[in-house]
Amino acid sequence: MAVVLCLVAAAMPFYLSSFWLQTGLFCFAASIGAMGLNLLVGTTGQLSLANGFFLAVGAYGYCYFAGARTTTGLLKLSGLGLPPAVAAVLAVLLAGLAGLLFSPIAGRLRGIYLGVASIGLIFLGQHLLINVLRPETGGFNGRDAQPFSLFGFSFADSNPDLFVLNVKFGAVERLWYLGLALTVLAGLYYRNLLRSRPGRAMQTLRDSEVASAVMGVHVIQYKARAFLVSSMYVGLAGVLLALGFRHVVPDTFGLDLSADYLAMIVLGGLGSVAGSIIGAFFITALPLVLQTYSSAIPFLSAPGQGGVGSSEAARYLYGVAIVGVILFMPGGVVSLFRRFGRRPPGAPAPGSTVSTSTRTSTSEPVAEPATHNPHPRTDRQGRTA
Amino acid sequence: MTLFLQLLFSGLSLGFIYALIALGFVIIFKATEVVNFAHGAFLLAGAFVTAKLHDRLGFLPALLIGIAAAALVGLLVERLIIRRLRGAPVISLAIVTIGVNIVIITELTRRIGTNVYSLGDPWRDQTVKIGAVRIAESRVAAVVVALVLIAAFFAAFKYSNWGVAMRATAEDEEAASLMGIRLGRVTAVSWVVAGALAAVAGLFLTAFPSPGLDASAAPIALRAFPAAILGGLDSTGGALVGGLVIGVAESLVSGYENQLLFLGRGFGAVVPYVVMIIVLLVRPSGLFGTKELTRV
Amino acid sequence: MTTQRQARDGVDVPELAVRDVTVRFAGIKALDRVSFTVAPGAIHAIIGPNGAGKSTCFNVLSGVYRATEGSVQFGDQELTGLRPHQIAGLGVARAFQNIALSAVQSVEENLMLGRHHLTKTGFLAGGLQLPQARREDRRHRARAREIAEFLDLTDKLDIPVGVLSYGDQKRVEVARALCTEPRLLLLDEPVAGMNADETRRMAVLIIEIRAALGITVVLVEHDMGLVMGIADRVTVLDFGRLIADGTPAQVQADAEVIRAYLGEAAEVPTEPGATPSGPAPAPAPSRAASPGATPLPALPPAASHPEKPS
Repeated sequence: MAVVLCLVAAAMPFYLSSFWLQTGLFCFAASIGAMGLNLLVGTTGQLSLANGFFLAVGAYGYCYFAGARTTTGLLKLSGLGLPPAVAAVLAVLLAGLAGLLFSPIAGRLRGIYLGVASIGLIFLGQHLLINVLRPETGGFNGRDAQPFSLFGFSFADSNPDLFVLNVKFGAVERLWYLGLALTVLAGLYYRNLLRSRPGRAMQTLRDSEVASAVMGVHVIQYKARAFLVSSMYVGLAGVLLALGFRHVVPDTFGLDLSADYLAMIVLGGLGSVAGSIIGAFFITALPLVLQTYSSAIPFLSAPGQGGVGSSEAARYLYGVAIVGVILFMPGGVVSLFRRFGRRPPGAPAPGSTVSTSTRTSTSEPVAEPATHNPHPRTDRQGRTA
Repeated sequence: MTLFLQLLFSGLSLGFIYALIALGFVIIFKATEVVNFAHGAFLLAGAFVTAKLHDRLGFLPALLIGIAAAALVGLLVERLIIRRLRGAPVISLAIVTIGVNIVIITELTRRIGTNVYSLGDPWRDQTVKIGAVRIAESRVAAVVVALVLIAAFFAAFKYSNWGVAMRATAEDEEAASLMGIRLGRVTAVSWVVAGALAAVAGLFLTAFPSPGLDASAAPIALRAFPAAILGGLDSTGGALVGGLVIGVAESLVSGYENQLLFLGRGFGAVVPYVVMIIVLLVRPSGLFGTKELTRV
Repeated sequence: MTTQRQARDGVDVPELAVRDVTVRFAGIKALDRVSFTVAPGAIHAIIGPNGAGKSTCFNVLSGVYRATEGSVQFGDQELTGLRPHQIAGLGVARAFQNIALSAVQSVEENLMLGRHHLTKTGFLAGGLQLPQARREDRRHRARAREIAEFLDLTDKLDIPVGVLSYGDQKRVEVARALCTEPRLLLLDEPVAGMNADETRRMAVLIIEIRAALGITVVLVEHDMGLVMGIADRVTVLDFGRLIADGTPAQVQADAEVIRAYLGEAAEVPTEPGATPSGPAPAPAPSRAASPGATPLPALPPAASHPEKPS
């Protein structure tokens, strides 16, 4: 199934226009970012709204490491001018480092407190991007991303000109394959992780922090590592976004973007590789699809004419989809597929809880005892029989 | 010194406005365990209705209808969505409100467009002088109104049937329902109260010295997030303290920006979050929040 | 002074010594200078009415709570001050009262978590499925299957834990704890909520575990039939204080224990085994659990204990 999808995706550059390939590239970037967030939220149970921040670290990190020292207008831009591949790796590591630096805070906070604290990172990041690190980021107007190249092969429109089966392979076609390859690798790593020792530890940490600790999992260390790996994924997504946009501006990386990613993993399915990808494609492509076909859809007016435009329609649909999925499909879209097959490892069952409640932290009984339970629930002092 | 007093008062008055928002936030969380990301939408809805109606009806009726509208939005969200999700994980509850927020905000920003509306408040741009400090009348009104509302709220929380039921529910939902408390009504009232408080806050947030109601008003409500968290998400007193702390910190940092240039311009907008993170590092459940206990 | 005992597979099973442990929560003393010793290889029960501090005691032993004062020594190793995962690394395993398994994961994956501290695969080796990670996985999976076999869970290995019956889930809890290859096994109410048949199975299982592995078992339990049937020694807590410590027979004859269970008004029954006339009608204790045929005089279960707040 997954192999077939990959083959289909690999054939797409021969059929799709560059607009759709560009959209696809953003979908791949979002898939990797959503996997990163899902690793943290769906698999480890650590709520984070800081995704936009780590995306920014990846995107701007790439621009800075690969960018040259230039002067645009009044602003002197600094840059290291490293080879793009090195810059991309460094940007991913930088995002990982940022995640690691945040993890002591994450280690102390739980559930919704962690979620809101992570919002702080977004605003702090915006402030840094716009006001503080202007030579590195270009401030409000942002800065350009160098075209990518790997071992001398450039992912630009030319140099060398490339034709495959009479189709010109420009930047979007080349980046499409880069995005596809990275998405597949990221997905495989995530899947393997879920099936191995660290994945088990993270999932138990999600289901019951206390139980995982008592079974020998170093909770603080695992939270930190989950943050590290997650933010590296998201940083990689940021690099791809920068390559797709070719120019990054700070406005992109606000709280809305974080909310988008959270929506992706909830819509797709928490803790699921396939769910991350489905959600990422849905949320990323929806506005563009509606925009393209707005003239064919009744009730939608062209931009600037006052009525409901395509971008608004996309927002409505998006909002309603979030509400609808949570109300009627608590396991996300993947739960639909799951009914027909075996549940992949690591995916929470529909309606199962990510333990992020602030008041009840520990394991509630999975099932009610078959017979009467003579022991009343513990009181708030944690005193039990 | 004058500047300091000026900033302090301005911060306190802003803090009271934040406290109104944060209080609603906390009430909703206590009643339903929902972290309400749609709070900005409630605020914007109330302010928008008031702005649209005040020309025809006059300020006070328009304001009352605006408050009722925000309360109604709160009620609808609770009845149509939140009620069906009883027992859902906290993260799902939070994300569902993100969905609601997107829909409402998109619709309201579309209607507002590029306009800047006045809410028709009677204070306009008048100021009063107290000692050496010059203060916008609207901010004085904000403090007075907020104090009255907060006092009324705490009285209601302590003595009214709803307050008692609400506290009992927050303590132990199951026991409360066994004692005959109608959970549906308690939670509905909580959302209504929170919506109404947000609308009042919306009025003062968009009144002078702010230019008026435009599409950017909703994100300001987000600054009440750190206020609520800092005080402790399940503490109503904490919401008040948190609001004041955040308001004063924001005002002081913005006012002394030139002395704090190493933090970068515009740091005032970030201060609420920085203060929140620092407080949370010391007290992971906020200043007055219930400490999470490990139960095995 | 530490006595040691050689377990079957050559692991040293040390003594567990709890000394003057006090735990305070917001002014309340959940445990008040509690001391007792668990002999290597013993089945040692901790009993007491609701709120007596039994679970708190377990939480201290497994590092979930930190003792305000006192010490817990496992052999030469001081346990107070260690984090839970460090204690797990020393060979202390715990099965939870309120089942704390990952409901969506299969039985096998839950058991494999028990191998966590015995294995090394990290984010790199696991995510890339390096050969050593696969080898390690295979080896430990085999051992987890053996343990599943021992607990009669082989046919349920692929089933998500959440859909198993309550009794099966309880056994998975015990199996997961055993998968850590413990020297000390803490069982928190292993038969709570079980029916008579499941209780009997669990009792046999606990005895078999001790016989097969030679490890120490400490259990908190309300089921007096089970406790008196299988425990070598019983520690009785009441309101956070230790009120008795001895063999099952000694404890059952202890006046203070009977008072704790029945309230001040209760008279000490003259005849062991006679059903005391408690204020509430006491259901007959389950004797089905005792695998030895000797009918044991038993205390009424805690459910009949009237005054103690929970």
